Amino acid sequence: MEVLASGKGVYRAPDPDGHREWVRTHKSRELKSKVMSEREAIERFVSDGDYLGYDLCMVRRGPVALYREIIRQRKKNLWLAVRFSLLDPALFIAGGCISRIDIGWFSPGTTSRAMEQGKVKFTEWSNSAMVYRQLAGAMGLPFLPLRYLGGSDVFAHSGAKLVRDPFTGKEICLVPALNLDVALVHVYQCDEYGNARIFGPGLSPLETATCARKLILSTEEIISNEEIRRAPNLTTIPYYLVDAVVHLPFGSYPGSMPGLYGIDTEHIAEMTMADRSDSLEAYLEKWVYSVESHTDMLEKRVGARKLVELMKKETIKEGYHA
Amino acid sequence: MSSELSFTQSEHMICTLANLIEKDKSYWVAIGGQPLMSVLLARRQHAPNVCYVVEDGTVSPQPTTASALIPPGASGGPYYRAIAWKDMNTMGFHCALGYYDYGILDCLEVDMYGNINSSFLGGEWEQPKRRFGGAGGANEIASMCWRTIIVAEQEKRRYRQRVQFITSPGYLDGSPQARERAGLPAGTGPYRVVSDKAIFGFDEESKRMKLLALTPWATVEDVLGEMEFEPLIAEPLGRVTPPTGEQLAILRTEIDPEGRIVGRGQWLSFTPEN
Repeated sequence: MEVLASGKGVYRAPDPDGHREWVRTHKSRELKSKVMSEREAIERFVSDGDYLGYDLCMVRRGPVALYREIIRQRKKNLWLAVRFSLLDPALFIAGGCISRIDIGWFSPGTTSRAMEQGKVKFTEWSNSAMVYRQLAGAMGLPFLPLRYLGGSDVFAHSGAKLVRDPFTGKEICLVPALNLDVALVHVYQCDEYGNARIFGPGLSPLETATCARKLILSTEEIISNEEIRRAPNLTTIPYYLVDAVVHLPFGSYPGSMPGLYGIDTEHIAEMTMADRSDSLEAYLEKWVYSVESHTDMLEKRVGARKLVELMKKETIKEGYHA
Repeated sequence: MSSELSFTQSEHMICTLANLIEKDKSYWVAIGGQPLMSVLLARRQHAPNVCYVVEDGTVSPQPTTASALIPPGASGGPYYRAIAWKDMNTMGFHCALGYYDYGILDCLEVDMYGNINSSFLGGEWEQPKRRFGGAGGANEIASMCWRTIIVAEQEKRRYRQRVQFITSPGYLDGSPQARERAGLPAGTGPYRVVSDKAIFGFDEESKRMKLLALTPWATVEDVLGEMEFEPLIAEPLGRVTPPTGEQLAILRTEIDPEGRIVGRGQWLSFTPEN
């Protein structure tokens, strides 16, 4: 296949056979309980230097409690797949956790300052391109062709290639597969084995979960395997993809879980002010370092009254089976 | 008797976009912002069932509010009463197949060929002076929707001879088949640019931006004074319809009652003739 142009952005070389070998040797197909604390899940399954991704973002069904545990454990040199994000990368940057990001989209502030000051390295992509790269990874393929990126400076600073399609003879862009080292996905319900249900618009739960070597689920609710088997159509993620199940009600806090609870707008305002004034470290001291766990944070910093208020605010239930 | 209407640049541009919306077409827009508000406004006027999708996979919802990512009410508000809840890749597949007629995009900079920048301003790519959020969903929208409508305030720093960084492709260098040679779907590209003073299109042959219509409060000189390059000028020039009192009332009371988006920009005023 004739390569007509190559982006000069840094990307991890795809390795489908390496991924298969990982699956063969590390992923259990045994139906066993994977329920553990967030501390144990992050200790066991997130290593310094890992390539980390997540589904959705901090205002909606984001695995925000798991972000906080990664920051609390002061993980280092992570490569973060950032797409469809707001202050998600900013929290990790303030926590000193990441050295490189892929850019789909983020909210400017701490993240843009880190880029302007050369503190974090980056590669350009787009939201869809990042999710599509994860789809290629989830299909066990080295790359996929796509009908965008070409011609732009995003292409020039990405890891994409423009080739001549051997079937049509026309130009087409290719993007390399992305197989994350570790993915974080927050779900509505799952059983103790990791069979999980997600409701609402999806973004990319299946691609994100499937492309990763290690998958940590946090869940609002643990349901029985019997309940899973009664409505198999509702299962988004089957258990053998999953390494850890962490029961974290309000696990998306301060973000929302549509159908269950709304956004804590006061908290988001506090976080946004800290981002703008370059004081996210003080924010992290209050919400992450000075508490032991997600439950500890909810008890000491949020309180039952606020949680009830967030649940009452969520007046739309249709479509969310939870 | 005539009475003066006062409105923001943002309100004017949302109304202009809404007037461009066709009832039986489909639109890919960003979550929140002027493009989405223009679709919701058109739905309350001439295009009640017009289809729109957003990149998270929400297909044609009837949202409780357009206010943005942090809604004042239930967090499920923006996705309420959708036709389908799919995912980002499905939206990309449907766009690649040609199901999405229009994308509407805002930007930091636009150039004479409709290329847009939403990545950074000043400095170099490696160390930008002011870095912004990046391509988001704009690259795929500008690449694969049949037509792209761009919204950008009429300012010299926005209408650039060449954008500093092509985040999302227009007609690239304007040469014949430039988009096709970059692997983009044939027959796609920028269609209109909407500002607070004018509407532009693109010349079919040269692919250069072309001034099509002026608002009642702007002259050709006003518009050219706020552009780094000289656009082609249509003969005769059309007239951009200003917002109506009804449109402004819908925007302010139903679509963006908190004024998060409609409140942006300078104030304009116009007295409709009776």
